[in-house]
Amino acid sequence: MGVFEYVWAGVMAVFAGPEAFAIFGVGISITLLMVAFGFFLGIVIGATPGLGGPFVMAVSLPVLISIFGFTPDALLPIMGFLVGVMKGATVGGSVPAILFNTPGTPDALMTTLDGYPMTKKGQAGKALRTAHFASASGDTFSDLVLFTTAPFLAILVEGYLGFAEKAALIILSLSFVAAVVGASPMKGLIAAFLGLLIASVGTGEDLYPRMSMGTDFLANGVPLITAVLGVLIMGEVFSSFEQMWRDRRTEAATAEIPQSGDNSLSFRERRKLMPFIGVSAVVGTVIGALPGIGSTLAATLGYATGQKMHKGPVNFGEGTPEGVAATEAANSSVSGANLIPVLSLGIPGNVGAVFLILAAESIGGFNPGPSVFRFTTTEVNPELVIAFGLFTTMMFANILNWTFGGQFMRWVGIMVKIPKPALMPIVFLLTITAVYVQETSMLSVYFLLGFGLLGYVMRKIRMPILPFVISFILAGNLETALRQAFAVSKADPLFLFRSPLSVVFLALSIIVVIFFSRGKKSDPKMTSEVS
Amino acid sequence: MLGRRAELMLGAVFLLLGLFVIVVWVPQDSETWMIETFRRQTTMGDAFLPMIAGALVAICAAIHLFMTLRRNEEQETDGPVFDGAALAFLVQLSGLTALCLAVMYWAGPIAVQLFASGETGDAATYRQMRGTYPYKLLGFVLGGFSLVFLTTSLIEGRFKVSRVISSILAVIVLIVIFDLPFDNILLPPNGDW
Repeated sequence: MGVFEYVWAGVMAVFAGPEAFAIFGVGISITLLMVAFGFFLGIVIGATPGLGGPFVMAVSLPVLISIFGFTPDALLPIMGFLVGVMKGATVGGSVPAILFNTPGTPDALMTTLDGYPMTKKGQAGKALRTAHFASASGDTFSDLVLFTTAPFLAILVEGYLGFAEKAALIILSLSFVAAVVGASPMKGLIAAFLGLLIASVGTGEDLYPRMSMGTDFLANGVPLITAVLGVLIMGEVFSSFEQMWRDRRTEAATAEIPQSGDNSLSFRERRKLMPFIGVSAVVGTVIGALPGIGSTLAATLGYATGQKMHKGPVNFGEGTPEGVAATEAANSSVSGANLIPVLSLGIPGNVGAVFLILAAESIGGFNPGPSVFRFTTTEVNPELVIAFGLFTTMMFANILNWTFGGQFMRWVGIMVKIPKPALMPIVFLLTITAVYVQETSMLSVYFLLGFGLLGYVMRKIRMPILPFVISFILAGNLETALRQAFAVSKADPLFLFRSPLSVVFLALSIIVVIFFSRGKKSDPKMTSEVS
Repeated sequence: MLGRRAELMLGAVFLLLGLFVIVVWVPQDSETWMIETFRRQTTMGDAFLPMIAGALVAICAAIHLFMTLRRNEEQETDGPVFDGAALAFLVQLSGLTALCLAVMYWAGPIAVQLFASGETGDAATYRQMRGTYPYKLLGFVLGGFSLVFLTTSLIEGRFKVSRVISSILAVIVLIVIFDLPFDNILLPPNGDW
């Protein structure tokens, strides 16, 4: 098969895949349906303060796996749903930020700076249209970069990296994430090594499951999805419970401001926004391609760059559409670029990507990494078809975003009125239920609560969560790469230092940690949304 | 950054954890050591990864301790990690969660024990009855409702009628999502019986 046949096979896997139902004899693909469902649900959840895309991805993953099963046919509907949620939540996050000065997602914080002043001037409709236009443009741009970059990067990695270099590259990625997320690189590193340690429990190649203390409880290892859900979602739920419990007397109702200004967004106005959107999209894409940094920093940098470019009558921070566009284009263009390290290296750089990897690992038949982009001509590489199918779902979500997203996001402003103290306990029960339906054992619920407590404590001691989660997920790959590299080197104790590339990666791992340890990062905007 | 004392304690705890892992846990609880030679073939043993991870936790914790010791007192920015209020909240939340999960787990079996009988008139087990209404949903409804309602009340510091309604609605919605459309999905605690 040639390149274009693979692309076409991916497109057909989405449009002509298993049918959900038929209208007038025309089958509607279940994958398309799931992408649309995920996208609109993502907008609703993104518009709900306290919830976010990762939350829906986390609780829906076990449920979807229970429904679709562990077959290759399940891959595209489930991953399409997750992609839809990721994109929808990015758009939805700006709605409460603009209407109520409450960012729906952390990366929408900068949107409040100009979005809410525009609302106060009676221009909420214009601000929402600007946010949608910038968000959809940034997102589409970063997807196009992903489609063109990831395959080449993967071919490069597959062609030039051996086992030792791959192990060194995973170490470099872990140390990069540990160093850039959170305020202290040392704490990030401790979190990463703790993840490796816990992932070692009950696994290994010997008959006796290592570190299981002879118990059946630990003999099968720590369930992957349960542990990730516990640390990421339950930890956040417990933290928000405590915060609400402390703040319960200071809650104030959010008032709606009547709108009477110019709320349209003309073609001319859109054209004026394009330089801001273009620059922010490039900034967001570059930031997104680096693991661990996250969309919050992208939004901050996009806003700062836009501020320097701006020469209009209304300053940034006083309610200018350019401010909204610069922020939204930057934070939205992170989502596509985030998948570059996932698909080309198999390394998740943010929480959304974590759940895509979890879905692929749980279902099987698709191992994100350089081996996906093997353009075999004599036989079909099914992983490559899935990869192009995934790209197709992303483009379909973008089309939905351009056509219906703007109108839909103007309807979901009501979500901000749902009281958080009533919502979060429902999330608590929902997460327990989602884990149980997949594992069908109360033991998994206890694991979930245990890891939730760990996530809560890590947040309390300001230890970043993302390095822990990423190293927990990559521990198996790292160990396999190390074992293979050791075996290939014929038990050379310096097996990681024999290749110049591997030495460069390891040296960079140390340099990155030293570099980020030198500057004190106290600005919370610099940290990832997870921590 | 936390206070200097809290960071020092944190470093000490992780240093001890790392040392415990490499001195006690992994050596005592792994079948093979870091490097194994069997029939003249040398391979990486199961202890390799956790030993390296444990050692690196200890090293990073030691560096963290050293860096914190060099830090000025004025750099302290955040409040205490765990104050009395946080502990009081955790205790209440843990007790409440344990109680609700116990209700979820036992409500169905106790109801079967009290009210249900088998086809031949003899006592039925919960496993036999877990697919029939109302036993199928009893544990989830009672446990789920109490979990949502009591947690909301704990957070808000008072009982509200509106929260009773929202908690009931939440449980109903979850049943509609998870149970009604699928025959192969078991709600908690039915998979355990």
